[in-house]
Amino acid sequence: MKNFKILLVGQPNVGKSSLLNALVGPRVTVSNYPGTTVEITKAKKSFNQIEIEFVDTPGIYSISDRSEEEKVTEKALFEEEVDGVIVIADATSLERSLYMALQILEAQVPTVLALNFVEDAEEKGIKIDCEKLKEVLHIPVVPMNPLTKKGIDKLVDSVLKIKKISKRAFTLEYDDHIESAIHKISSQIKETSMPSRFVAIRILEEDEDFYEFLKNERTITEVIESLEEHPRVAENIAITRYGTASFVAAKVTRIIPLEKEKKLQEEIDRVLLHKIWGSLTTGLFLLAIFGILLYLGNLTQGVLTSLTESLLSSLTTAEHSILTMVLVNGLTGIALGVSIALPYVFLFYLLLGLLEDIGLLSRFTVNAELFLKKLGLPGKSFIPLALGLGCTAPATRATRVLSSEKEQFHTASLFAFVPCSSRIAIIMGIVGFYGGTKLALSVFATSFAAGLIWAFGIKKAIPIKSEPLLLELPPYRKPLIKNVFAKSWIRMKDFVYIVIPLLALGGIAYGILDMSGLTHIVVEPLSPITTWLGLPTATIIPIIFGFLQKDLTGAMLLSVLGSDISLALNALQIYTFGVATTIGIPCMIALGMLIKEFGYKRAVALTITSIVYGLLFAGLAWRIISIV
Amino acid sequence: MHAFRRVNYLFIHIKVNEMIAYEGASSKLKGNVAKKPVILEIVKEDVLRILCEKRKKTSLETIKDEIKVVHGLISEALEELETDGLITIQENLILLTGLGKESAKNILRKHSVLENYFEKTESKIEAHTAAHILEHYVSREVINNIKKLSTLKKEGVPLTKFELNKEGMITDITFSDYGLFERIVSMGIFLGEKIIVTNEISHGIVVKIRNKKFALDRDIAEEIKAMEYEKL
Repeated sequence: MKNFKILLVGQPNVGKSSLLNALVGPRVTVSNYPGTTVEITKAKKSFNQIEIEFVDTPGIYSISDRSEEEKVTEKALFEEEVDGVIVIADATSLERSLYMALQILEAQVPTVLALNFVEDAEEKGIKIDCEKLKEVLHIPVVPMNPLTKKGIDKLVDSVLKIKKISKRAFTLEYDDHIESAIHKISSQIKETSMPSRFVAIRILEEDEDFYEFLKNERTITEVIESLEEHPRVAENIAITRYGTASFVAAKVTRIIPLEKEKKLQEEIDRVLLHKIWGSLTTGLFLLAIFGILLYLGNLTQGVLTSLTESLLSSLTTAEHSILTMVLVNGLTGIALGVSIALPYVFLFYLLLGLLEDIGLLSRFTVNAELFLKKLGLPGKSFIPLALGLGCTAPATRATRVLSSEKEQFHTASLFAFVPCSSRIAIIMGIVGFYGGTKLALSVFATSFAAGLIWAFGIKKAIPIKSEPLLLELPPYRKPLIKNVFAKSWIRMKDFVYIVIPLLALGGIAYGILDMSGLTHIVVEPLSPITTWLGLPTATIIPIIFGFLQKDLTGAMLLSVLGSDISLALNALQIYTFGVATTIGIPCMIALGMLIKEFGYKRAVALTITSIVYGLLFAGLAWRIISIV
Repeated sequence: MHAFRRVNYLFIHIKVNEMIAYEGASSKLKGNVAKKPVILEIVKEDVLRILCEKRKKTSLETIKDEIKVVHGLISEALEELETDGLITIQENLILLTGLGKESAKNILRKHSVLENYFEKTESKIEAHTAAHILEHYVSREVINNIKKLSTLKKEGVPLTKFELNKEGMITDITFSDYGLFERIVSMGIFLGEKIIVTNEISHGIVVKIRNKKFALDRDIAEEIKAMEYEKL
């Protein structure tokens, strides 16, 4: 049996993942591209005795920019030994898709052009002559729709014949002075798997990563000197490429002017992108989502807890052996995991996927930018921060949407102040239950204030040159529910396979420590902390051991102070306890995720600093409040 | 003059691309592959222009000298022009008919607009060549735009100063950083494109280009210059 490896390349929102879904179904694997934080999705399927592995790359506009996503696509193109590429083109803006297609043709990789959104384009009065486009580019051009599966079979047919496509289907020629520079450089290129013309063009486009392919770095200075009369060679290359793309597009496109454009989209944007209404609606939307999650979360959590409790009570009546302890604590952990996973994580991802596919998320990002920029963060960090309200661990992974590692780490550090569902449970269940709603809200407010101070501090200390806002706002579309579900599942896999087992382990670890009486050893030496917080010394147990599993914090507090906390703690103490357990990287699972993303040193440093900061802040807060 | 240079490149790409089409197609014709009506049209227009410039009966040899494509293609073009009633051929000498003169004048008019435009930045011979090649492909609308652009005194204004919901044309993109420039271009924000600023947001603007919407930071919008169509 033959094996093919085919790369899917296209702009953001062009329908790459829908196409992958249409080609192979939802069974995909998500993995990091080696050495980067960018995810790629792979899936295999056999067609007529040929097994094709499809590799879905991140959405990009060009392969010559320097973002991590673009580098990954470029690497995949040359290092994965691909047999060909499917460029997914957007019929509503063909020239833009052709820009990237031309780059890939420049790299001399066999290419098939899959034309998406043909119906959308026709609605807008744009008709594309695929046969003509095929003639001009000398590559197969297949109109298709992954949602209705129209054209998918034809696309597969073209891919199966990919070996017959010429590697030099279309050569883009530049102005004479650029051509002679390309010629000069390509004669001085070491042996690589990449075509020397392509390497030469990338060198002229000032991509320093390609300088290593030169036999002699002096060549570049010589060429630059010879180009003295044409100082903007890189720009001219981009312009020629885009110009050719739009020229080819114009040749194969017929535009029928429409009487009236669809106005609804514009009307929605008039509100959502309004200076004031935009931020307001975004805020309201987020509050509504938060409210829905909290309500549904409480509901499912209640049902699940009573279910597991009845199951566990039958176990706990048995003799107290280590085995039952392990079983009980482990099961509690799993039950907790499921009761967080179902409502908070899965629902959250579902809503997020919906917002994304409808086109609302990008508008929210634009509006959030105003606030986040003041904190030294790009608008995009809004997505991981919002996810942090569900669970810090998957949210940490979601920081990958940001372009620089500095931005990723800065955002991750703010998870210390974005209460996850477990921390919300402490605030609502302990502070709110025993101290009243007002007190619970003041814990939220304190955590928020602490976060603002932290963010401003970091912004001052390590100024990050964040990328300026440059975001395409996709048109509003009807989402495909199947796609949204598939995407949510891919996103929550981490939670199911990593977080839930760790929750069980955390529970078991605490159980063992508790049974052996080891937990009480820390009470005395750590008493300065409780003194600083103005809390009874025993409360150090839930504060410290809550790190093993945050959801145990409440239960631990009850077990050390007795079932009615309001007898042991006054309102101010309940507040302080709430703040002390809320601020900081919450648990070892979050720490584990941070280590995975940022390495031991930075993860541990962040966790310790944030916890110490939280304890200091809680102590200061109650002192200030008691003076006032 | 800066803006001129940039806009100039917009048209140079067309030149480059057309040369490929020219050569590519003629080499294909040598191999007796299918006819390329587009190329034939180009040759036909060229023949008409040359005849009009010479203002008299012209020999087949002169035409072959001027148009550097395979001779089979010229003969084919002449045949079609004759059937269309645009030229008459008498003993190797070719003459424009009344109808032919009219369409040749149209071509020449396009030619001179383009040539004027290119003279601003290139040498006379280059301008002439560029105009030659472009005249076949550029629509009347574009010709009018070039006419306006070539008489343009002021440069465009930054998008940040652009009036809301007014149609304009991108006249310049002035990033010093090539990475950003390339990203902007690859997203479809390109010279000569029609642009509308649809919304003002607190830290930038939202623009619409060819059915696509983009949110741009103020710093980015500052570096993209455009002119209102009404002022062009």
